[in-house]
Amino acid sequence: MNAIIALSLFGITNLFLGFLNNRKILLPATLLFVLIAFGLNLADWNHEYYWFHNMLKTNNLSINFTSIILVATALVVAISRGFGNDEEHTHPAEYYGILLFSVVGAIMMVTFQSLFMLFVGIEILSVAMYVLTGSDKRNLRSNEAALKYFLMGSFATGIMLFGIALVYGATGSFDINGIGNMVNQAKLQDIMLNPYGPILYGGIILIFVGLLFKISAAPFHFWTPDVYDGAPSIFTAFMSTVVKTAGVAATYRLLSISFPAVYGLWGNPLVYITCLTLFIGNITAVYQQSFKRMLAYSSISHAGYLLITVLAKTPTTNSSILFYSLAYSIATISAFAVLMVVSEAQSKSGKPDESFTALNGLATNNPFLAFVLTVSMLSLAGIPLTAGFFGKFFIFADAFSNVSSLFKTIAVVAILMSTVGIYYYFKPIIAAYLKKGDLEKIELSPIYKLTLIITTALTILLGIAPDLVKNIF
Amino acid sequence: MNYQPSDYLPIIVQIGAALAFIVLTMVATHWLGPKRHSKAKDDVFECGIESVGNARTPISVKYFLVAILFVLFDVEIIFMYPWAVNFKTLGWDGFLEMIVFMSLLLAGFIYVLKKGVLDWEK
Amino acid sequence: MQFWYFLTALTLISALMVVLSKNPIHSVLYLVFTFFCISGHYVLLNAQFLMAVNIIVYAGAIMVLFLFVIMMLDLRRNSPDSKTNLTKLAGAVVGGTVLVIFIAATRKINLGTGADNAFYNSQTGMVENLGQILYRNYLLPFELVSILFFVAMVGAVMLGKREAGERNF
Repeated sequence: MNAIIALSLFGITNLFLGFLNNRKILLPATLLFVLIAFGLNLADWNHEYYWFHNMLKTNNLSINFTSIILVATALVVAISRGFGNDEEHTHPAEYYGILLFSVVGAIMMVTFQSLFMLFVGIEILSVAMYVLTGSDKRNLRSNEAALKYFLMGSFATGIMLFGIALVYGATGSFDINGIGNMVNQAKLQDIMLNPYGPILYGGIILIFVGLLFKISAAPFHFWTPDVYDGAPSIFTAFMSTVVKTAGVAATYRLLSISFPAVYGLWGNPLVYITCLTLFIGNITAVYQQSFKRMLAYSSISHAGYLLITVLAKTPTTNSSILFYSLAYSIATISAFAVLMVVSEAQSKSGKPDESFTALNGLATNNPFLAFVLTVSMLSLAGIPLTAGFFGKFFIFADAFSNVSSLFKTIAVVAILMSTVGIYYYFKPIIAAYLKKGDLEKIELSPIYKLTLIITTALTILLGIAPDLVKNIF
Repeated sequence: MNYQPSDYLPIIVQIGAALAFIVLTMVATHWLGPKRHSKAKDDVFECGIESVGNARTPISVKYFLVAILFVLFDVEIIFMYPWAVNFKTLGWDGFLEMIVFMSLLLAGFIYVLKKGVLDWEK
Repeated sequence: MQFWYFLTALTLISALMVVLSKNPIHSVLYLVFTFFCISGHYVLLNAQFLMAVNIIVYAGAIMVLFLFVIMMLDLRRNSPDSKTNLTKLAGAVVGGTVLVIFIAATRKINLGTGADNAFYNSQTGMVENLGQILYRNYLLPFELVSILFFVAMVGAVMLGKREAGERNF
């Protein structure tokens, strides 16, 4: 909670730091702000608080999610390199400021107690993302992505808001516990006979659709490849980690607290949605020529893996989601970090080259970058000795521990799809080690190098000893 | 005080009267006035000079920027109305809440000013 | 009650005209009319503050923004219809299904014989009561909305401001 207030003020501070005409201080200042917020967030550890008339509720789960979001933000800020030295066409103060504001929205999404806060949080996060997607003003693809994201995203928010209104009309409450009680009562006396039952069902479905759009689950994923591909890489890294974690956390919180009584209503469609997401994300990723677009499809498929454990509802679901989000976030950020420097070094006629061929021969002159890329790809594919392996392992274990035989089917689909994943995650590794290329040595700034070392070390560490963080979660 | 929707009846009557007057005068002028068309008379009037080009050229984005800032601050002002009505009941707490809200938006206004968005020539 | 039916019919017709009219300026004007009709509904619900806000913000300010957008784009050039028949059919099927589901759901609701007099307070929507709730229970979202404003403001300035060396009129 205090992190929300602090980050709001820090975001404003950042905007005004931009008037100092000193681009060097922005990155360390933002990093410092995120770290302060991290400390403030941990201060509530092991306490359950309701804030401001039950608007927010912090407990260990929400603090863990907030921590993952802040860690991912810090890593993204660290690889932003101050947004270049192009004095005229970049606005680093604005980028950092909006980034901090969007983290405020993300934290609201993981700590909300009232649906009102969920809506305001999603709106802050989304509006910030629309702007950042289109921040590369002279790039037509970025403009197109921003417009697409804005139109589709605002429709999704509208659908979700309509759902919230219907649920409020049926239950008379915005509070997720209050709604949960009302749904339980309605369930006891056969929901369709309840005077407001049908409207409640409709509302739940609409909220559900809006949230699934935000985490880009199929069939609501159509915006994802274009937006992730068109946005500047650094913001794509932010979107596919922070936004996805916040979206999954919000979905999980709402479904597990408010609507467990009507599991059949959202569980049955979610089975198909999960399978479809896994299938579309992984199969389409195979056919991509662009590394960045492949990462976009891979982020769709990871939404599918996360949804499995939301669906499975076992006692270990909390820690599985947290571990998977963390493993996925750090691996994705290091993949994007490599992609950014390599694509800029390989830029053709001023445009960064983001295809797989840009990675050709990366290992000859840049063994460090190639190693970082390999570890992150192995982690995303779920190969043992990386964090991604245990992420997937915990999720499949959740699925198998559920008594329903349906989950065995889902788990089999997911395992099949992750073998497909191995195929396309090895493409960049093969390009980096086996193909010939003429890539010069790329100079990395110390902080960039340090970030890559941290993400890689963390990925390997969590792959060897997952209990280090699993016990905290 | 006890307000009811029926309190708005005079307003509906007023709207009806205003609309009726407009419709009546428009119909009456069309009906009463003579209609004479000629090429010079039907031409677009532009200070007596022959009109050039299209009236629907795209306008500058600066107008839009000013308009969007206007909407934001307009919404901010709206929030002050229920606050002002309850000023005494909310007491000092309400006053501080509003100060926080206003200072946040004032910071936004200063930001906009310093960015020079409202300078037309810049 | 008769007035409610009249107003609702008017709202639905004008909302349909927003979608159906070919000229975008007409669409915007119908949208303004729709907003006025919705304000009429707020009056019937005795939510007078919302009525005023709806007219000031939506019918007034936001519609001006819509008109600006239309003026910034050259809409007289008819762009070829980019949607295939399959997309249109799919859209119609999905939209139609949602409509049918919601009509069915609404028909199922049993509203009983009207408001429960023990709990009913006709003055709930008045500005005094609204302010009490907004500045006590909903204080946090109220303050955080200013962050939303900030993002919108900074985003508009960042995307809309003329860069050095650029020329837009």
